Amino acid sequence: MESRLCSILLAAALLSGCGWFHRGDKKPVQVSVEDPGAEPTIVEPQVTRREVKTPRIKAKDFEVGAYFGALSIEDFGTNPVYGVRAAYHVTEDFFLEGFLARSKAGQSSLEEVFPAITVLSNSGRQFTYYDLDVGYNILPGEVFLGRGRAFNTALYVTAGMGDVKFAQQDQFALNFGVGTRILITDWLALHLDVRDHVFESSLFGVDKNVHNIEGTLGLTTFF
Amino acid sequence: MRRLLGLILLLQTLHLGVAEAAKRPLLQLVVTAPFLEMHSGPGRGYPVVYVIGRDEVVTVLFSRTDWYKVRAPHGAEGWARREDLAITKLADGEPAPIPPYPDFASHRWEVGAGYGVYNRQNLVTAYADFGLTDSIDIEAVLQQALGTLDNRVVATIGLRHTFIPEWKWFSPTAGLGTGYQHIVDKVPPAPLESNNEMAYVSLGARGFITRRFMWRADWRHYVVFNNLNVYEDLEEWKVGFAVFF
Repeated sequence: MESRLCSILLAAALLSGCGWFHRGDKKPVQVSVEDPGAEPTIVEPQVTRREVKTPRIKAKDFEVGAYFGALSIEDFGTNPVYGVRAAYHVTEDFFLEGFLARSKAGQSSLEEVFPAITVLSNSGRQFTYYDLDVGYNILPGEVFLGRGRAFNTALYVTAGMGDVKFAQQDQFALNFGVGTRILITDWLALHLDVRDHVFESSLFGVDKNVHNIEGTLGLTTFF
Repeated sequence: MRRLLGLILLLQTLHLGVAEAAKRPLLQLVVTAPFLEMHSGPGRGYPVVYVIGRDEVVTVLFSRTDWYKVRAPHGAEGWARREDLAITKLADGEPAPIPPYPDFASHRWEVGAGYGVYNRQNLVTAYADFGLTDSIDIEAVLQQALGTLDNRVVATIGLRHTFIPEWKWFSPTAGLGTGYQHIVDKVPPAPLESNNEMAYVSLGARGFITRRFMWRADWRHYVVFNNLNVYEDLEEWKVGFAVFF
């Protein structure tokens, strides 16, 4: 009997405790009895419309990379050249491209024959250029490596102009080139290029157009 | 060889960075035409290597010029033409969100380069242009004039008015602005002033070529401000290509 009383008291205490915990600003629930004669009310749903975001398609029309190779500087031998390039592909045929590179000229044949003569100072032998070109993919295609691998390629031609700084003077230079682009993956391409930089030089006393042909190998990434 | 290896690693890192940033949901489209052709490369000559049937879902990975790299439901990948993808639909029946080409008459941005003659010197020019309205643009130009007696670096900023922007193939323009030139002499004597401010007026034309590609031509008359009490003016003309966005 005593234990039953205890348990009743305990339950009552617990219930009141629960009530204490739940006390707050809650208004007492009002139970309304619908008037059967009144107009039925329309319930407005409190739901906000879910916004569906359509994923955007990433365009990968830009190409940047670097290259190195050999540059034949007229009258000054063939020397290593290295540079960077950036391109924007406008259509599947046309692209715009920019180059920035440097090399260092060797000895001219005059200096080799007569070692006492110095045509250019050490800093004057620096050969740097920039070019702005338009390119055209003339022969797109594929190359095959063994039975199971194919890579997309394009043979392209480029033409443009820029500046060559040689013998410590900036010269206006035209350039013409042909190259091939081999896409190793969708984002990585290997380039083989031959380009001629033509500018007017009077280094040896006579004005003449000098041709500086370079062959380069480069890697670029599309993004 | 070590340089080449370093370059490959650098490109790989760059690409991974881009790939990480690009880890987002890919667009999925439902083919509504009888079939969608997938080419082996992004060009008109590449052969069709796979065909996706009507009502199948194609995942669009990225685009390159007018071509879209897509993945078929079974994992095969290839390149779909823009025109073919434009007639697909989203899962809810809405048209595929293939972005349209910017309208040439009302485009906002232009970036271009060209060749010209400035003060009888060969000129290499590059410019960026922002359209304040369809007919009034603000343009910034950086150019290098390379001559026999001196070389000049010229930077200008100005406003350009396109009289009839709706004319697609040929539309005349006029502009005015201010700038700065820096002279580097090649042959003595050195110029009395090697830095000058300038103002210019221009007449030109522009026209559409294809897609995002356009041409520009410009003639400019410059007045050079100097302290020599000598009125100096220069002329320039140039032609070039540009990309518009």
